Amino acid sequence: MDTVIAYMPSIIDGTLMTIALAVCSILLSVVLGLLGAWAKLSGSRVAQNIGGAYTTLIRGVPDLVLMLLLFFGGQTLLNQLGDATGLWGYVEINQFAAGVLTIGFIFGAYMTETFRGAYLAIPRGQIEAGIACGMNGGLVFGRIIWPQLVRYALPSFGNNWLVLLKTTALVSVLGLQELVYNSFTAGRSTRQLFTFMFVALVMYLVLTAVSDVGLRWLDRKYSAGVRRA
Amino acid sequence: MRFKILATALALGAFALGLGTAQADEKLRIGVEGAYPPFSWKEADGTLKGFDIDIALALCEKMGRECDLVEQDWDGIIPALLAKKYDAIVASMSITEERKKRVDFTDKYYNTPAKFVAKEDAGFDATPAGLKGKVVGVQRGTIHQCYMEKMFPDTELKLYGTQEEVFLDLGAGRIDAQISDSIQALEGFLSKDEGKGYAFLGGDQFDLECHGEGAGIALRKGEDDLRSSFNAAIQAIRDDGTYGKINEKYFDFDIFGAGT
Repeated sequence: MDTVIAYMPSIIDGTLMTIALAVCSILLSVVLGLLGAWAKLSGSRVAQNIGGAYTTLIRGVPDLVLMLLLFFGGQTLLNQLGDATGLWGYVEINQFAAGVLTIGFIFGAYMTETFRGAYLAIPRGQIEAGIACGMNGGLVFGRIIWPQLVRYALPSFGNNWLVLLKTTALVSVLGLQELVYNSFTAGRSTRQLFTFMFVALVMYLVLTAVSDVGLRWLDRKYSAGVRRA
Repeated sequence: MRFKILATALALGAFALGLGTAQADEKLRIGVEGAYPPFSWKEADGTLKGFDIDIALALCEKMGRECDLVEQDWDGIIPALLAKKYDAIVASMSITEERKKRVDFTDKYYNTPAKFVAKEDAGFDATPAGLKGKVVGVQRGTIHQCYMEKMFPDTELKLYGTQEEVFLDLGAGRIDAQISDSIQALEGFLSKDEGKGYAFLGGDQFDLECHGEGAGIALRKGEDDLRSSFNAAIQAIRDDGTYGKINEKYFDFDIFGAGT
């Protein structure tokens, strides 16, 4: 127990890093998800194909493979490019950026499907009614689509968020000092690996429990005016 | 709303930090593992300690260079060197032919023998015949894996990401024996409660092709200036007693081993 308390600051640091990583990744994935859904639902054939390729390709590649590819492969490529053109010496792709980019990119594909499904759940007639009342595109989106999109997307969004939160553990292989990395380093340094694995487990449970409360609050907020079964 | 702004700022800042700055400082960056006691580990306050760390810092001082220690997970330790995330690896890395294809090595800075560990009353020998059909645990990508595959082809190998996990499974009885650096086995397992009832099995295991000359400092290929200054520094700390003092701090015998 004493060792756990001694290493607590490093565990807390790691937890904060995990939160920062998850929050940045989810923001990126929401942006990519909205773009992806828009592309897949748009009338343009080209946009549809790009959106389709994105979701098919990304959902088919393991997160870890993509991450290692970007962190090590991307870095080597960047170095060679810099050497060849003489434009830059050494530009570091740090672990945080690599983690956010890959996780955000991967979950953007899942979010695309989440938002696409949510959009399709909105009755067409409501959108037509909005247009008939003389609303422009922005107004239809802001008053009719968005509030309902969020409500329909929330359950799947919550799922994605919880999975994403745990996916951040993968970034530990890049050496980013997040929760898993710090717990394991502490465990190996003190030779009490089990103890610190358990600490990490508890921290993740706390994070998911808090997320659950937040998600339920969002659900209530966006379900205002809807009768509960 | 405020949260949203904060988070966005955080994200933008992170990307700017991550991708924006080109660094061209004169500092030498050294990759270390930080999870391999007693050679390197992390204290509760986050400082790195251990034989490798002390040696790295002593070498930097001798070379008159300022150094940054960069922590890196073992699995990515060579890829990160090649991707220029740091310039040298001081992480008890054994000099092997296999690794020499990808990186250059300095002269060795220590050389400890490898040994098997098993139950005291194991009832089998550390020979290819004795270990036939037995399950032996080994850390993935190490000289010990190479040695087992070459000399003990009939032994079933179980591979682990870290040495600590090998010890855990040995203690849990999932494997019949394990092979690792003898010091690592002594300090990390045999001298602890979990290691009660276990002992070294057989004598020193050695094969030049797998085990090589000992642990050296890995560098990217072609950095000959850096290599010769490391070699000179290793010789210098051997000569002036710095090495001896660091050795004494962690081990009660000379771990430099035979030869030069």
